[in-house]
Formats: sequence, C-alpha cells, structure tokens
Amino acid sequence: MDRVERRPRGDHGKSNRSLLRRTIFLMVVMGVLVFIPLVAQLVRLQIVQYDEWKQRAANQQTRSVAIAANRGTIYDSQGRAMAMSATVYQLILSPRDVTALVNKDSKEFKDAEGNFDQAAYDAAVQAKRAVIVDWLADNLGMDEENLWTRIENTKSAYERLATELEEEQAEQVRQFVSEKKLANSLYLVDSSKRYYPFSSVGSHILGYMSENQYSEGRKVGAMGIEAVYEDALSGELGRQVYSKNGSGHEMMSGYEMYFDAENGYDLTLTIDERIQSLLEQTLAEGIETYDVQAGGFAVAIDPQTGAVLGMASSPEFDPNNYAAVVDEDLLNGLTSAAEQYGEDSEEYSAAYKAAFDAQMRNKALSDAYEPGSTFKPLTVAMALEEGIISLDDTFYCGGSLKIEGYPLPIRCHDHNGHGEQTLTQAVANSCNVALMQIALKLGAEKFYDYLEDYGYRGTTGIDLAGEGTNITLDRASFTGPYGQSSLAVYSFGQTFKTTPIQHITAFASVINGGHLMEPYVVQSIRDDEGSTVYYHEPVEVRQTVSQSTSDTVRGILEYVVNKGSGHNAYQAGYRIAGKTGTSEKIDMRTPEDPDNDDVICSFMGYAPADDPKVLVLLAYDTPKRSAPHSNYTADGTYISGGNITAPMAGKLIAGILDYMGVEKQYSAEELSSADVTLRQVTGYELTVAMGRLQGQGLGFRTVGTGQTVVKQVPSAGVSVPGGSTIVLYLGDEAPPEQVEVPGVAGLSPAEAKTKLEDAGLLMRVSGAADYTDSSVKAITQSIEAGTAVSPGTIINVQFANSVVDYNVENNNDTSGIPTPTE
Amino acid sequence: MAFRRRARRDLTTEQQLARGPMDLIFLALVVLLTVIGLIMLLSASFAIAMYDSYPGIDTGGNPYYYLIHQGGFALAGVIIMYVISRVDYQYFRLLSVPALIGSVVLLLLIFTPLGRSANGARRWLWLGFTFQPSEIAKVAVIMFFAARLSKRSDELKAPRKWSRRTLTGRIGAALDRIGFLELVPYGLIMLGILFLLYKEPHMSAMILVLVGAASVLLVSGVSLGWFAAAGTLVGAALWFIITQTAYMTKRINVWLDPTVDLQGDGFQPWQSRIAIGSGGLLGKGLGNSIQKYQFLPEMQNDCIFAIICEELGLIGACVIIALFMLLIIRGYWLAIHARDRFGTLLIVGIITLLAAQVFFNIGVVTGVIPTTGISLPFFSYGGTALVIQLAEMGIVLSVSRQIAAPKVE
Repeated sequence: MDRVERRPRGDHGKSNRSLLRRTIFLMVVMGVLVFIPLVAQLVRLQIVQYDEWKQRAANQQTRSVAIAANRGTIYDSQGRAMAMSATVYQLILSPRDVTALVNKDSKEFKDAEGNFDQAAYDAAVQAKRAVIVDWLADNLGMDEENLWTRIENTKSAYERLATELEEEQAEQVRQFVSEKKLANSLYLVDSSKRYYPFSSVGSHILGYMSENQYSEGRKVGAMGIEAVYEDALSGELGRQVYSKNGSGHEMMSGYEMYFDAENGYDLTLTIDERIQSLLEQTLAEGIETYDVQAGGFAVAIDPQTGAVLGMASSPEFDPNNYAAVVDEDLLNGLTSAAEQYGEDSEEYSAAYKAAFDAQMRNKALSDAYEPGSTFKPLTVAMALEEGIISLDDTFYCGGSLKIEGYPLPIRCHDHNGHGEQTLTQAVANSCNVALMQIALKLGAEKFYDYLEDYGYRGTTGIDLAGEGTNITLDRASFTGPYGQSSLAVYSFGQTFKTTPIQHITAFASVINGGHLMEPYVVQSIRDDEGSTVYYHEPVEVRQTVSQSTSDTVRGILEYVVNKGSGHNAYQAGYRIAGKTGTSEKIDMRTPEDPDNDDVICSFMGYAPADDPKVLVLLAYDTPKRSAPHSNYTADGTYISGGNITAPMAGKLIAGILDYMGVEKQYSAEELSSADVTLRQVTGYELTVAMGRLQGQGLGFRTVGTGQTVVKQVPSAGVSVPGGSTIVLYLGDEAPPEQVEVPGVAGLSPAEAKTKLEDAGLLMRVSGAADYTDSSVKAITQSIEAGTAVSPGTIINVQFANSVVDYNVENNNDTSGIPTPTE
Repeated sequence: MAFRRRARRDLTTEQQLARGPMDLIFLALVVLLTVIGLIMLLSASFAIAMYDSYPGIDTGGNPYYYLIHQGGFALAGVIIMYVISRVDYQYFRLLSVPALIGSVVLLLLIFTPLGRSANGARRWLWLGFTFQPSEIAKVAVIMFFAARLSKRSDELKAPRKWSRRTLTGRIGAALDRIGFLELVPYGLIMLGILFLLYKEPHMSAMILVLVGAASVLLVSGVSLGWFAAAGTLVGAALWFIITQTAYMTKRINVWLDPTVDLQGDGFQPWQSRIAIGSGGLLGKGLGNSIQKYQFLPEMQNDCIFAIICEELGLIGACVIIALFMLLIIRGYWLAIHARDRFGTLLIVGIITLLAAQVFFNIGVVTGVIPTTGISLPFFSYGGTALVIQLAEMGIVLSVSRQIAAPKVE
C-alpha cells in the first residue's frame, strides 16, 4: 500500500482541454447560474411581495382582541340619563381551535408503524366537541343541534354564540374555559348593551341600537341621536394584539401591543325628560279622550334659542325593545290581523311592518302637514313688517271672498261673516277673509319672500336625521297668473305643507323679535374625562321680522287666548298666548274618498305672553267624528283646534311653566281667582285677622260675636282660590259638622260663587277664560249637588262659553288650487 | 497524531506532496459555514427544543438540545475532516472499491431488522447510532467513478480487440466505437444503487447520486451525446411521471400554488414562504423569527434556510448564498488545479454534489422547484450527515495539499 502506482500526468492534450472546459462549465453552472433563480425568488418574496407576506405572517402570528369602548351616555338637559350602556359579553367559539386542541402529531394517533390513525384522531376531536356542546346546552340553554352544526364547521374560527351574556353567565363561562383549558377555542368578548331608563320617553329623539349589514355584528345607532351622533357616542374600539405560536398559544416573549379603547362622548340634550313626558302624556290623553285616529305630535322649544325642549310623536316605541309594538291601537290592529289571517300570514307581516313603521315615525320631524290657521300670525307679521296694515286697520268679512282666477268664492268658516273687525279681532276670530285680504294686499312676490325667509322652502338644519321636506309651490307658479288663489289660501295655511319642526321654528321667529333660530337637540358633548368638547351656541339663521312687528304679533296672540278663538287654552296666571288651527288634510281627498273630511286639530301657543319661555305646537290628527261628517266627537266636543287641542295645550303649557318654575303673573282680575295659601288667623284679634286675609285678596264673613277668631274655615295652610270668602267663627260659635252642596249648573260664575259660599263652601273655577262674559255658564261641578261635605270644601266648577267656536277653515273646496307635489 | 511522524527526507515524493499545505481559503469557507450553520441551527431550533414538539426527538425541554448534539458532531466532523485531509488521496483509488461494496451492503442492511423507518420511508440504519447509508453511497459512487474514469485515457489507448467474424463481435465493436460499452459498468452500478434507494424509497438521494455520478462522467470526457440521450430519457420519464401519476401531479400543483392544499401538502411551502417573505430586506434580527414558533415544520432540518431569510433578511440570505458560491467556485478551482485527473474528478463529484444539495434545498424552500426532501449542508440538523459532509470536504482538502505551489520567481 505504500507504493502507489504512479500515473503519468495526462499527456493527452485534447482530453485535458475537455476536462478543463467541462470543469469550468460545471463551475459556472453549479457555482453561479443555479443561484440566480434562487436569489431572484428571494428578491421577489422579500422585496416585491414583502407587504403581502408580512400581512400573511401577521395574520397568523398575531391574535387581536377587540376591546370594547364604552358608549357615551345621553343625558337630558337636567342631567338625567336617558340612554346608558352596561357591559355584557359576546361568547365566541372557534371551531378551528377546538380541533387544534387535539394534537395530530401525538403518539396516541400513531400505530406501531408510525402511521396516522385517522379514526382515533376523529374520535378524540369529537369527544372534545361534545364536552363543549353539552356544557353550553346545559348551562346556557343553547340549542344543541345548532351548536353541533357550528362546531363542526372547522374552517371557521369565529362563531358568535351569544351576544349579551350578563356578568353572572360570563363568569360561569370563564370557569368552564379555565377548567377545561379551552382558551382560544371558547372566549368572551366585551360588548355593551344599551338601556333606556325612561323606556319610551323621547324614543323618537333618542333612537335605538341595532345591527346593520355594515356594522360587523356590532349594534350601532339606528335612528335619532343614537344614529346622528354614532361616531361621538361609540368611541374607538381598542385592540390588544399579541403574538401567538403555531399552536395558538400566547407567547411569553412575543411582542404585544395595546391600543386603548377610546370611550364614547357623553351627550347632553336640550330635551328635558319632564317636559318630554308632559308632551307625551298630553298627546296620549287627548288621543284617548277624542279617539284620535292618526296619532299626533307635540313639540316644545325655547323660542329664544331654538333649543328643543321636547318632541313627541304618537304612536311611540320602547327603544329597549324597539321591535315590539307598544301602542294600544296598533296592537289591537295587529291582534285582529293575527286572528283573521294567522301570525304566519303575509297579511300579518304586512300589518306588523306597517305598525312598526308607524311607531318609528317621528312625525314632528318628518311628516309635513298643512299648518292651517296656526300660520295666520305669520301672514299678519309679514304685512305688519311691510307696513301695509296696522293694528288700527279694519277688515270686513262677509263670509266669503271671490278670488280672481278662481271660480268659487273662498269661504270663511263663519258663513255669515265676521262683519267689521279690527286686525286683532280678525286674528282672534281666525277670519279667513281678512287674512286673504291682507295677503292679496301684500302681493305674491312679497309673500313668497317671507315664505322663504321663514324657511318654508328649505329645512331647519336640526341635528336629527330624517327631517321631512316642506312642500310649497315654486316662486314662478306662486307669483304667476294662476298664483292668486294659492296666495289667498296660503294666507291661512292651506294647500302647502310644512314639517312641525319647521313651522314651530318659523313661528318662534315672529314672537321672539324676529330671530329665526336653528333648532337643535344636542346642547353639549363631553369627553370621557368630563371636559366639554362641544357646546352649542344658539345659531340665528336670519332676521325675519322686526322687534316691533314681533311685539305687535305677541299682543294679538295674547288676545286670541284671552278673548278669542284660543280662549280654551286659557290658564289663570300663566299668560298663555297662541293660535289655534284646524287644518284639512286635502291630500286625503282622493277619487276613492272624495268627501274625506279628516282634519288636524292643532294649537301653537307660548307663555308667558310678554317674554316667551316655551313655545308649544300640539296637534291631534283626525279626531273621530261621532258620525260621518258630524262636526262633533263622540263625547260631544266640537272638532276644531280651539275646542280639542287648545284646552290640552293650555294645561300642557301651564304644566311646563310650573315645572320650569316660571313665576305666575296675575292680572288684577285674575288675582281674585288665583289660589292662595290661607294664613293662620285663628286666635288673632278680628281686626288683625281681617288685615291678614285682605292682604291675600280674600274676603271673609263672621259668624257669632266676639273679638277673637276661635275657628277659621277652611283652616290655615289650605290652598284656596283667590277672592274666596273665608268664614271666621267668633265667640262660642262652631262650624257645622256637614253642609249640603248646592247645585250651580247653568249659573254664571258670580252667581255660582255666591251660592256656594252661602252654603259655607268655596269655589274654584276652570274652563273658559272670561268669567265676566255673560255667555259663560257653569256646566259641571266636582261634587254633585245634594252631597253632604265638611264646610270649607272647595268645589271645582267647570265653566264654558256656550258659543260654539266655528274656527274651522273647513268647507272650502280648494281642489282647484294648485298644490305642490314633492 | 496517532502515527509516528517521519522525517521529510524519508518520504516519497507523493508523501511529500501529501504534506503540502491545504487550501486555506476552502478550509476557511468550510469552517465559516459550519459555525454559521451552528448559530442558525440554535436560533431555528431553540423554540422547537423548548416546546419539545418535534415528533421522535425527546429534547426534555432543553432549548440547546439541538445545538449540543449538532455541535458535538461538528467538532468530530472537523477533526475527521482534518485527518482525512492528511491522508494521501491516492489511497482513495484503492479505497473506492471496498467503499462502494460497503455502501451497497449498508443499503441492503436497511431491509434487515437493523433498518429504521420514519414517515413511511425506510432510510435509516442503526449501528449503535442512526445514519443514512445513502450519504455514504453518494461519496462511494463518486470515489469509485473518479478512480475508474481517471484511467480512462489510458484504457482508450489500448482498445480491446473485437472478433470481426462473429455478430456479437461486430455489435460489440460498434458499441465500443460509440463508447457504449465503456459506460456499461457505470450504468449497472448506478442502476443497482438507484434501485436500492428506490425501494426505501428515497427520491432525493436518487437525484443526488445521479447528479454526483453524472458530473464525474461529464468531466471525465464521456461523449456529450450520452448526456443528451440520458437527459432526454430522464426528461421524458419525469414528464410521464408528472402528468400520469396523481401523486406527482398534486405535488406539482401544490408547488405552483400552495394554497390549493394549505392544510396538507401546501402547508410547509406556504409557511416557508411566509417566513421568507416576512423577513424583508433586513430581516427581523437574529433570534427573532416568529415562524419558528411551531408554524414552520422541519425548521431545523430542510426549512432552516427560511428561518435564515426571516431573521437575517435578503441581505443575510444572500451573504450565506455567496459563501456557498465561493466555496463551490473555490472547489472547482481546486479541481482544475488538482495534481491529476483522479483529484479533479474527485473534487468535481463532491463539489457538484454539494452545489446540487444547496440548490435543491434553497430551491425547495423558496418555491423555485417542487418539494424534495434535501437538507442544507452545514446548516440542517443531522449529526452523521454533517460528519460525512465534513469528511467530503476533508477529501477535497486532501487533494488540495498536492497542488503544486505557484513558482515563485
């Protein structure tokens, strides 16, 4: 082995050259060329497609968990929470991770040869699933079949099993998960649930929360404030991102990022829950009393700023459970549909949809209507502003007026005519003829200018979604040759439509000094830490009329309530002013129903008359007539804004002012009937007692003789109507145990008062405003005649003006007057 | 040193030559790659070692398990490399025959109870330690072919006399003339070994044996026509296999678009590409791979290059590719300058084998070629493979010792 045969170096030149060539060839190919595609591919993957692969890597290497942001609270103007959120949990199942719980590479699933035993593996996975399904079915009452379908969908890593688990259930889940080591397979995600503590109060303004196709399983605001301020309320979802390894477990040393959730902002509304409740109660009461067919609406604003204090529509819904129909009438309709067709029928679902749509509708915001006579003050304000009429002008109403270019004379509601009347009287009478005369004098161009200035050609810009469109003729048609009839009927608010919110905004401008304010609902927005990020300063859109015009109109409107067609809204001490309206729904007159006489009975009123704090628009849509074309409801009330709506509105405005703590103002006349709290006079010298009572505007009579009052009826602290006569017992005299209530029906206020006081009782009046009017008679008394009561008992007596208010623009065939279409 | 050192004057010329300096550039590249390989192995394997999640290997949760094992083999391998480099490579001519026979025997032993199988293939032999006989077979074939073919020009000088009277004689003469007869023994040896590998089955070893042997045949001067013919044959066979067998068709489809079977065969290539792609230009930094946390299968073996790309980025990957290229080019350079044809052929075979392994591994990992299970030399985990790899480098170094130093003026 030591000696190796020595091979001569190859002397074959050709062979050696080939060897060299071929080695160099290999060197080039194997040492250089083959690496070119490799490097090219690396460049492609790492440079060209870098972003794609990085994304794919991040997708599988990180797990990101959403951190819920707390949705902001919605407060009313007094800080009462009207919408608030509480934490609940979503339960998420990842079928893919459930499968991964069983390690495929485990030795259990290898036979002796190292081959994979599919059957054993499948059985192990199935057992794992059964544990989860059984537990969920037993403890959370979930549908087992559905669970199996979902858990076997191994492609899925996200199955939402429950959306609103409360803390208690969530804790059960946590324990189960940690016990069975199911982290990643079954987990909880924070979520929140919205509560509306006042349930249906303000439902149309607040809106509600629901999922939609873009919200990725989250509930978002679906209407009202919740929808308009969705971004502000919802905040920003936080996210926790951490790296995980191939088996899905969180890595100890992996990178982790935490993006804080940003809690939503809190909103403070201009809405006052109490005022809102009053509006809703008044609506409900009137609808109940007059059997109103098509619901109604009520809006209350601060006329100085445009802040909406309340906005109610009937029917309403409960945002806590928005899909449920809550309105009684709608429910009755549904029940009968269910009985007639069955709950699975198409008719029933159509009926349900109609009921649902009806209860969701914010009529005060969305539904344009013909404002009727409540528009008259705006016509008057235009003419006053232009100086073409003054308070001293008189207008003659002969019952109708012939308008050039229109075949029929347009009638006033009083077919006999109002005769000669001052401007104030014309408005108080709600005289259509006078208003037409004023409008014709003003001319179409000017009228239209004001119509635009008032905002009837646009929208108000209120911060709510779904504001309806006003429907008015365009300028060319209105001022054209055929526009005269339109001008005539526009003057008293017919043949055009306006949304309640627009109408009340425009009306506010003629009583607040001419400032057309932008109505608004959100007063301020505060962030999580309580600092204000937004505060709404009142926005004046434009000046409509001058301060002096406004003052004049206010005077007229106070007269309307004190002495005119609005007198049923009168409430002593509140100085309510306003205008009634009874508007035809001419678009209901279809070929199928040519005699439709549905009306909207409304009242636009404010108080106090000299310094309006609140302006209310209340309307009932279609009170039921006792018989077709009867002018009365079933309970005998004449169907008009003055008779149906004004009394309700008067009470409503009084209630709002009471709540707002606006001090009452009494005229000398009123003072005599305003309630006072009786002072203590028992034990006083008679002369002193007299002084004390007179100081309160009370009268007295004495029984017995003596210098010291031994007993007073009623006793001290009782609230008695002003001007009442107090009985003072002197000496040994004592009041009788019982007295009999006399009957006062048909008596005038003075007669009734005397009769009751003679019997040792007190009288409180309600109803008609002017108790000096001879036509005012007592109609009911709170305690029946003949009843025995304690002396000093206060008897409520309802008076009414026996003259029927014919304040209806009705009975005019305006079908020939062009009506704008949407 | 185990053997007694003799004085220089007592040595034959060959022996003196064998004591010449080995090629330090080549040595440095080998050592560098081995060290980098160990570092990357540690980085790639410590997660899998810590989680003890690789089936069949019980690390006991020791994150350095793979490094310690591989490090031991690397040390042994470097020593063996040095020892072999000291051996006069002319001895390998004699050694080639027993090496070839021995490796065939070892391949046959696989089919005895000494064989070990994993993942449905029987490739391992247990002789106190576990190794793949195919690793030895690759070198043995190269060694044997190089030894036989280095004498080719001598043999051609004295062609065999064929009887012109018999048909067989005439056919034989014709076959001899076109160089077919000369190839018959090589072909038979190849067929035998390929058959044994096929029975394991061990597709990647078949490819490598074929490539190594072919390179030796090519450089030895065998007519290019035969390569063209063999290439056509192999191409046709591949075409047939790819289009006609569902298994290969699927493999090709998964190669073209791993997403067709992301949960199955496409998983590894897809994860591998995610690792590479997410590394970007500069990488996530040494040790910062996330894919190694149980996403990427075989990250310590065939897929280690993907982790390199993820951690060291395009730059790091290119540096390592460049080191391999330098090693390969230097290897061929040594082949060109080898003292004799045997040395040349020996190096050409070994270096081509190495280059093919590098190409196939990186090609698979990056998705340039369809999946074949070929490990990355110096990097992939596998003790005996590393030792054999270093031993092969030792052979190259041994040849390099006998290169005559350039004359110094």
